[in-house]
Amino acid sequence: MILLEFGGTLLRGLGITLWISWLALLLAAIIGMIVGVGRTSRSLPIRLIAQIYTEFFRSIPTLVQLFLVFFGITFVFNINLSPFAAATIALALEGSALMSEVVRGGIQSVGAGQREAARSSGMRAWQVELYVVWPQAIRVMVPPAVGVYVSTLKASALASVIGYVELMQTGLFIRESVRGGPGGLTVLVAVAVLYVIVNFTISQLGAAIERRSSFVH
Amino acid sequence: MYDFNIEAMYPFFDKLPAAIWTTVEISFLATIFSAILGIFLALMRRSDRLMLRAIATTYVEIIRNMPLLVLLYLVFFGLPAFGIVLSGFLSGLIALTLNSAAFMTEIFRAGLIAVPKGQYEAARSQGMTRSRMYLSVILPQILRVSYAPLGNQIIGVIMGSSIMMIATVEEVTAWMNNTGAVTYRYFEAFVVVAVVYLVLCQGTNLLRNLLGRLIFKSVAAGGRW
Amino acid sequence: MSTEPKSPGNGRAQQNPILRVEGVVKRFGENTILNDVSFNVQPGEVVVIVGPSGTGKSTFLRCVNGLEDIQGGRIVFEGQTVNARSRKVIALRRRIGMIFQNFNLYPHLTAVENVTIAPIKVLREPRDSAKERAMELFRKVRLEHRASAYPSEMSGGEQQRVAIARALAMNPSLMMFDEPTSALDPETVGDVLTVMEELAADGSTMLVVTHEMAFADHVGDRMLFMDGGSIIEDGPPEELLRNPKEERTRQFVNSVLRPDTARRRQSNGAAADPG
Ligand SMILES: Nc1ncnc2c1ncn2[C@@H]1O[C@H](COP(=O)(O)OP(=O)(O)OP(=O)(O)O)[C@@H](O)[C@H]1O
Ligand SMILES: [Mg+2]
Repeated sequence: MILLEFGGTLLRGLGITLWISWLALLLAAIIGMIVGVGRTSRSLPIRLIAQIYTEFFRSIPTLVQLFLVFFGITFVFNINLSPFAAATIALALEGSALMSEVVRGGIQSVGAGQREAARSSGMRAWQVELYVVWPQAIRVMVPPAVGVYVSTLKASALASVIGYVELMQTGLFIRESVRGGPGGLTVLVAVAVLYVIVNFTISQLGAAIERRSSFVH
Repeated sequence: MYDFNIEAMYPFFDKLPAAIWTTVEISFLATIFSAILGIFLALMRRSDRLMLRAIATTYVEIIRNMPLLVLLYLVFFGLPAFGIVLSGFLSGLIALTLNSAAFMTEIFRAGLIAVPKGQYEAARSQGMTRSRMYLSVILPQILRVSYAPLGNQIIGVIMGSSIMMIATVEEVTAWMNNTGAVTYRYFEAFVVVAVVYLVLCQGTNLLRNLLGRLIFKSVAAGGRW
Repeated sequence: MSTEPKSPGNGRAQQNPILRVEGVVKRFGENTILNDVSFNVQPGEVVVIVGPSGTGKSTFLRCVNGLEDIQGGRIVFEGQTVNARSRKVIALRRRIGMIFQNFNLYPHLTAVENVTIAPIKVLREPRDSAKERAMELFRKVRLEHRASAYPSEMSGGEQQRVAIARALAMNPSLMMFDEPTSALDPETVGDVLTVMEELAADGSTMLVVTHEMAFADHVGDRMLFMDGGSIIEDGPPEELLRNPKEERTRQFVNSVLRPDTARRRQSNGAAADPG
C-alpha cells in the first residue's frame, strides 16, 4: 500500500502546513489588530486608510499576492526571498485583512452603552478600552479568528505553487514518483482527507468556544 | 531604485481582454451553478429525512474544510483516472462550482432559517403548491437576508478563479504569471492585474449594494461580510 | 455630601448651587434638541425631570456628564465649567454618578467587580478596601447575596441596584438617573424606587428623569416639566401635579396620571427595547 510507504512523509508535510499557517496567523493577528483598531478610529483619514488596506488585500487573490511577494520583491528590491518567507508574508497579508474585519467586528459588538457607562465613571479613554471594551470584544473575536486560521491553513496549500514543500507539494511529489500508477490518486485523496480532518477539528473547536463564550443577555 | 516601467506591459495587453473574459466567464458560470446546487443542498439540510440531511451536511463540511487547490487537483487528475477527460476550463469550472456550492448552501440555509414558520403556513393556507410557495413567498424573503453574503460569495468565486491557472486556464492570474516570466517584470504585471481584480470585486460590491437598495429599499450597509 | 435635613424653600436660594445650568443649547446637526435650558440644583436637593418622550431629557443628562458637547450656554458643576472637549471632564465625571435606563452593567464582570472596577482603576483605591466598600453598598441596595453573580444571572431590578451601587462607589456629589425603572418588570420597580428614596433621605443630591409620578411627588423637592427642548414649568411637585400654571403641563400630567394611560405607558416601557 502506497499510504504505508509514504504515510510518514505526508504527516511531515502536514506538520509543515500547520507550522507555516500558524506563523502566518500570528503575524496576521498583529497586523490585523492594528488595522482593525484603525477601522474603528474616530479620525476619518485613519479609518479610510485602514479600510483601503482591508479592501485591497481582500480584493486581490492570494495566489496573485504570492506571486507578487515571491517574484515581484525579488526584482524590485533585489533580494531573494525563500519560498517559505514569501509564502509566510503573502499568507500573513491576506490573513491580516481578514483579521482586521474580525477585530473591527469584535470592537463594534460592544454596545455604546458600555463605553458610556465606563466614561461616565471617569475612566480615561485607554481605561475604557482596556477594562471594559476589549475584555468583551475578545470573546466575540475568538470564534471568527479560528475561522481565519482555517482559511489561512487552506490558503497555505498555494505555497506549493512556488515550490514550498508543505502537505500539498509533498502529495504532488509522491504522485510524481509513482507516475502512472493508480496510487497517485490515492495520495491526493489522502492529502484531501488530512486537510479536511485538521480543518474540521479546528472549526469544531471554534464552534465550541463560540457556544461557551456568548453572554446570556 | 527600481525603475518602474509599465510600458514593458504594452505588448502583452492584447492578450488581457481574453484573460479577463475567461475570469469573468468561469466566475459567472460557477456562481450560477453553485447557487442552484446550494439551494438544493440547503433544502436537503432542512429535510425531514435523516439521509438527505446527512448527505448535505457531509458535503458542506468536507468541501468547506478542503483547500480549493486540492479539490482542483482531485478533479483535474482524478476524472481522467475514470476515463473522463475534460478541458482545463471544464475541470476548473467543476472544482470552482463544487467549492462554491458548499458556501452557497450555508448562505441559503441561513436565509431559510430567517423565514418564520408562519410564512409557510400562510402560503399553504392559501392553497399554493410547494414550488409556488418557494418561488413567490419564501425565495424573495431569503434573498432579502442573503443578498449581502451572496455578494461576498461572488467575490470569493472571483478570488478562487485565480487558482484555475493551475489547470492551465488562461485567466487573469495566468496572464500575470506568463507576462512576468517573459519580461521579468512581475511588479508591473501585478499592478495591471491588481487593477483588474479591484475593479471586478469592487464592481460586484457596488452592484450588490445598488441592487439591494433598489430591490429591498434597505440601506445596504456597505460591509461585505 | 450634605447631611443637613431636607428643608424645602427657605435658605436654599442663598446657598451655592452644586449645578448651574445657564441657557444651554444642544443641536444635532440642524435639529435643536435643547433650547435655552436654565436651572440650578442645590446640594441635597432632589430634582425630578418629567416630560414627553423625545424632548431631550436624556440628552440633557448626557450634556451635564460631558458625554455630549453643547452649542450654547454653560453648565457649571461644583464651580467648574463642564466642557466635553476638555480633558478635565474625566475628573469631573468621577464626581457625578450616572444611572442608565438599560443599566449598562459590564457583562464580563461580576456584580462586585462591576462596582469595584472604577474605584480600583480610576481612583487607585486598594482592592481590599474597594471590595469592603462595595459590600457595604450592596447591603445598602439589599443585594449582599448577589455580589458574585454575573449581570446575565440577575433580574432587571437587581441589575439596576448594582448600577446604583456602582455609581455610589465613586462617592459622587451628584447622582443622575435616566428613567431608571422604565426597562424593568413592574414587580421589580418598587425595589429600585425604595433604594432611591433612601438615597434621597440620606441627603444625596439627585437629578432624576422619570415617569414615576408617585415617586416624583413623594421624593422630589422640585419638578421640572420639559417639552420640546425647553423647561416649561419649574416648581414643587405638588404644585405641578395638582395646580399646574401652564396648559401643556396640565395636559401632560393628566395623560400620565389617568390610570389607564399610566398602565399602558408602563407596559410599553417594559416591552420596549432598552437601547
Ligand atoms: N446622537 C444623536 N444624534 C442625533 N439626534 C439625536 C441623538 N441623540 C438623540 N437625538 C434626538 O434628540 C431628541 C431627544 O432625545 P432624548 O433621548 O434626549 O429624549 P428623551 O426626552 O430622553 O426621550 P425618552 O423619554 O424617549 O427617553 C430625539 O428626537 C432624538 O432623536
Ligand atoms: Mg431618554
